[in-house]
Amino acid sequence: MVEPLVVRPQGLYCPAGDFYIDPRGRVERALVTHAHSDHARPGHANYLVSETCLPLLKLRLGQEITAEGLPYGEIRRIGGAQVSFHPAGHILGSAQVRVEVGGRVWVVSGDYKPQPDRSCEAFELVKCDVFVSECTFGLPVYQWKEEGIIHQEINQWWSENALAGRPSLLFAYSLGKAQRVLRGLDPSIGPVFAHGAVHPFLPVYESSGVKFPKVQKPREGDGDWAGAMIVAPPAVEDAGWTRRFKGAQRGFASGWMAVRGARRRRNLDRGFVLSDHADWAGLLGVIEGTGAEEIKLTHGDGEPLARYLGERGIQASMLGGAPLRTEEE
Amino acid sequence: MQGFSELFHDLDEMTKTGDRLARMVEYFRAARPEDAGWAAWFLAGNRIKGAVRTGELRQWAAHRVSLPLWLLEESYERVGDLAETLALLVRGNQEAVPMSLSQVVEDGLLSLVSADPVEKQEILLGMWDRLRPMDLLPFHKLLTGGFRIGVSRGNLCKALAEVGGTDPAVIAQRISGEWDPRTRAFGQIVGEEGPDDAWCRPFPFCLASPLQEEPDTLGDPANWWAEWKWDGIRCQFLNEEKGAMLWTRGDESVGESFPELLGMAPHLPPGLAMDGEILAWGPEGLRSFSRLQKRLGRKQPGPSVLKKEPVRFMAYDLMRVDGEDLRTIAFGERRKKLEHLFEQLPAGFPLQLSPRVDACTWEELSRKREESRDRGVEGLMLKRADSIYSSGRVKGDWYKWKVDPFVADMVVVGAQLGHGKRANLYSDYTLAVLDDTGELVTVAKAYSGLSDQELKEVDRYIRKNVTGKFGPVRSVRPGLVFEVAFEGARASGRHKSGVALRFPRIQRWRKDKEPKEVDSLENLLGYARMGEPKQGDGPRTDDAGNLLLF
Repeated sequence: MVEPLVVRPQGLYCPAGDFYIDPRGRVERALVTHAHSDHARPGHANYLVSETCLPLLKLRLGQEITAEGLPYGEIRRIGGAQVSFHPAGHILGSAQVRVEVGGRVWVVSGDYKPQPDRSCEAFELVKCDVFVSECTFGLPVYQWKEEGIIHQEINQWWSENALAGRPSLLFAYSLGKAQRVLRGLDPSIGPVFAHGAVHPFLPVYESSGVKFPKVQKPREGDGDWAGAMIVAPPAVEDAGWTRRFKGAQRGFASGWMAVRGARRRRNLDRGFVLSDHADWAGLLGVIEGTGAEEIKLTHGDGEPLARYLGERGIQASMLGGAPLRTEEE
Repeated sequence: MQGFSELFHDLDEMTKTGDRLARMVEYFRAARPEDAGWAAWFLAGNRIKGAVRTGELRQWAAHRVSLPLWLLEESYERVGDLAETLALLVRGNQEAVPMSLSQVVEDGLLSLVSADPVEKQEILLGMWDRLRPMDLLPFHKLLTGGFRIGVSRGNLCKALAEVGGTDPAVIAQRISGEWDPRTRAFGQIVGEEGPDDAWCRPFPFCLASPLQEEPDTLGDPANWWAEWKWDGIRCQFLNEEKGAMLWTRGDESVGESFPELLGMAPHLPPGLAMDGEILAWGPEGLRSFSRLQKRLGRKQPGPSVLKKEPVRFMAYDLMRVDGEDLRTIAFGERRKKLEHLFEQLPAGFPLQLSPRVDACTWEELSRKREESRDRGVEGLMLKRADSIYSSGRVKGDWYKWKVDPFVADMVVVGAQLGHGKRANLYSDYTLAVLDDTGELVTVAKAYSGLSDQELKEVDRYIRKNVTGKFGPVRSVRPGLVFEVAFEGARASGRHKSGVALRFPRIQRWRKDKEPKEVDSLENLLGYARMGEPKQGDGPRTDDAGNLLLF
């Protein structure tokens, strides 16, 4: 039996269609699951992404790239392969890639979460023979609460800080997490600001129907930031940029915040457990739901999940040669 | 756990002592007395022993959430905290009716102690059903015994004192030693101060000024009393019929760490307050300060620690005896009374009188001072013979005549943001010297002793030269050379460099120096060898352990 996808140094490759999924290096044709930089890399000749991912990809990689957007669910024939994109529920435009060759079906999940997220398309379960699953949070200690509860926690924290006359500085990755956080903010508490890295993506989200409160860019220099909410990417955590927000309480929205040590190591006042990845129960539910006979795990430490699935009679292993990643979560 | 779990999570997240203090006050004011009593008991560092073996606990928890034990262990490895791992796995009951802390302690913890394993499992399963998700972390912390959330005993005492309108010193006495919240009501802990409570409060310490001029400016040496400046923990030893206490200058009550000293109480007259220094002191004599650290923060040390790391109290002043306040009489008189007290003590006790360093002239005294490093002391104390025991620092009464600090040039290899006024400025530095292979090796952390202008300049350099990130610490490309002063060095197995410095502080920025010009590790190790008290060269004692005068 010929498998639709094989592992090459650049990433997952489809011999029948001569394309890669989320490759590194420089390739002729790249199918990209979503616009995070550890999946969407520059330098490829042709990109194929989901239709809603396209404007985000161009913001990230430049308007001049050769890229095409495919509506979710539409089947595209590439060489001997049939390809389609299906919502992954990770961020706006994120997709699982279904590849069928000679009746055999692989689904490459990219990053995904089955939990509801009102800032992006809902995850779609796709049946397949082989499921390539991420497993960023592949331990049972990771169990997410509903996003509504986390939004309440964030607003509660913000209003307490506002009452105390303090700014709230909330770190969240600039694409995806920041927009998810902004959407849930209650603008009656105070003014909302976001770092410049967050702004370009907002119109794309808005054109997909996501509504934000009024989001301003922080002015240079000193000002009165008491009661303000400032959303910024964690990359500026220590930069001079944050210095103007004197007396700010610092929070971070990430699945990693489920464990106290992660919050403490970063010297944060508050961690919000808000993740764009599947939690343990989400991983198990999706993996079983796909009906796949074989599971290939990517991203980091999947050994415990693979062993656990094996004990439950599901063949699972780490995908060899999977690109190493810097986790955007 | 209602109220208490919220307190736990808030304290755990707070980073400032003042915030924690205010939060505790809020809790103690609102809590029912029976819950507040247990909360105070746990925050004071007490634990319920023998509730459950962690091996059984892990098994039962894994079984409860239908996970293989190996997966719980994998999770524990990732989380790094057993109580937290269990809390994350078990999850609790969203709809549970909140239980009070005292109810949880009695039903869920105390009843475990006497139960057999089958009953224990049943009790735990019951608790996991009855607790809210937010109760689980504090519950498992109480269950597994490790309850550390950044609340010092001193801060707890301040909170309880504020609640009851009494003195933190009185609280410290009330919560020291063994007590049971079921028999000692919370009201008794925080209750108003009675006439019998005052004894346990330390006097404000009499402090010395650094001697900044030549000693002969002090006049006739006959009017002065010289002693070694001991390198230990300065403490007031209070004794009353109801008990004894040891108070540090930082308002910490440390008696429980030094039972052999408190054990002297029955041999001392009641109504006593002495000033002195706790020192590490083995059969060979004085030991370095680092040995004392093995005793600090360790409540109720076991017999082997007591044997291996013995201590002594070196007394040098007497503020009260038989309830009579002596602070306004002359030092010379107080000293005579102290000597009289020691004459009546049987030999072999871990209490000693700090000896006088005799000298007829300042010159002679100055020569004796040169012996300080070899003796393992920090220099000399000069006390005017007619000085009273004043509150705080009164210039002209007591002087510390320390040996000059060591100085070395070091290069900044790491930095961390400061606090308070220096928040958002890189003002805490990790400093390195060169080892014999020419590699930089970290030897100290120090806060900036730089001017505001320099601080800003250094901050700019650091932001442009960050090479890595380890938690809150940034590694920095070597380029900043500082002159660092320190009081001493000691060999240390815990530090990669093999040396630990005492009180390192930055004296100035050596813009004229390159990183390759910094001091060598070999130099610092040499200082460490100098700082150790020399065998047989420290204060000498006779066979009974009494001090022989110099």
